[in-house]
Amino acid sequence: MDFFKKSLDPIVALAIIAVLDIFLFLIVGAWTVGGGETMLAGLFVKSLVGAKEMNRIPFWHLVFKPTWAYWKIYISLGMGFGALVSAILSKEFYWRVPKHLSEWVMITIGGLLMGIGIRLSFVCNVSTFLGLTPEMNLGGYLAVSGLVIGAWVGTLVYKKILEA
Amino acid sequence: MITVYGQCAAAFVFGTTVGVLVQRSRWCNTAALRDAMLFKSYRNTKALLVAMMILTVGFTAMISIGNGNPMRFDVGINQFIGLFLFGIGMVFAGACTVSSWVKTGEGNIGALWALLFLIVGLFVSSLVWSFSFWPLAGPSMTGHANAAALQLGFADALTLQRDTGVPAVVFGVIQAGALYALYRRILRRERAALAPQGQETPISIEYAVSPSVGRPATVANPVSSARDTLSTLGE
Repeated sequence: MDFFKKSLDPIVALAIIAVLDIFLFLIVGAWTVGGGETMLAGLFVKSLVGAKEMNRIPFWHLVFKPTWAYWKIYISLGMGFGALVSAILSKEFYWRVPKHLSEWVMITIGGLLMGIGIRLSFVCNVSTFLGLTPEMNLGGYLAVSGLVIGAWVGTLVYKKILEA
Repeated sequence: MITVYGQCAAAFVFGTTVGVLVQRSRWCNTAALRDAMLFKSYRNTKALLVAMMILTVGFTAMISIGNGNPMRFDVGINQFIGLFLFGIGMVFAGACTVSSWVKTGEGNIGALWALLFLIVGLFVSSLVWSFSFWPLAGPSMTGHANAAALQLGFADALTLQRDTGVPAVVFGVIQAGALYALYRRILRRERAALAPQGQETPISIEYAVSPSVGRPATVANPVSSARDTLSTLGE
């Protein structure tokens, strides 16, 4: 279990993930997270309001019909599960709670913006860098440009907030 | 042809492996961009570039021989706008989609909160789509340019191969070469930054996570003090 006693070089980790992702690309499609999260959002709301109400919303009727038989969901759930197992085995699992109200506010705004961004573009950061761009999709180059500029603007705003 | 259950099983195995590897390496896409911009620290950026190089050659090689499942949707200005908002959001939240799941698995309530509000944002904007029906989605995608809808149609390695007759992998190798040039440039910049300090090899940042606060306890790097002022989930 030496693997869980020391940290792994991220270059090695990402190289392994990339090779596995090529196999996933052959079977079902490239690694993506936003699609699974979109479906999870639909399933979550469907469980609250019921299928009849959900069908009245065009997006969930025409674009993403909520179903558990959508493979991308299981990538997201698998990541959470794998991280949980890894954290327990490496004795790094413990509850961490943001201490300041400002952190909660920033995380809330950040989460909302990420959700709106995914919905608007139909892609997330993973499919941008590790899906669309390696497939040489023009949308990938547009998305990378948007993401880099957005991260730059976000960093500037964050710095201003910290300084204030 | 793989069944739906097989697809879900393959996705879960892949996701679990990703969860373990990202948890052990503490890789984060947010840090790959933010740390490069703020601290000129490229630990995560280099890993991202290596993965992109491997995937570019791998995907385009598969496309060249008619295999694989490339994403098929209309390219549009919505991809730029959406990821611009996403970029701001991931810096604010201190985590991207991957690290949100991984940190949640480690017991980070802030990451779980980010995921919950990501889902809220997704749902609320799905209501907006249900009113505006923009950007094009699903059956309304034609694969052709549509100026009125700010869409450019399909444009990827597959269409490039079809339109030029040149195998997609040729373009893939060129793109991988460009990414490698960027990688080399980062390595040179790191060496140049370390030379005045008399260090021969790039610094390896070891993240020893403090059990009490869940943030890096020691970062053997000149940018550590500045980095510690940024309270985020992504590290």
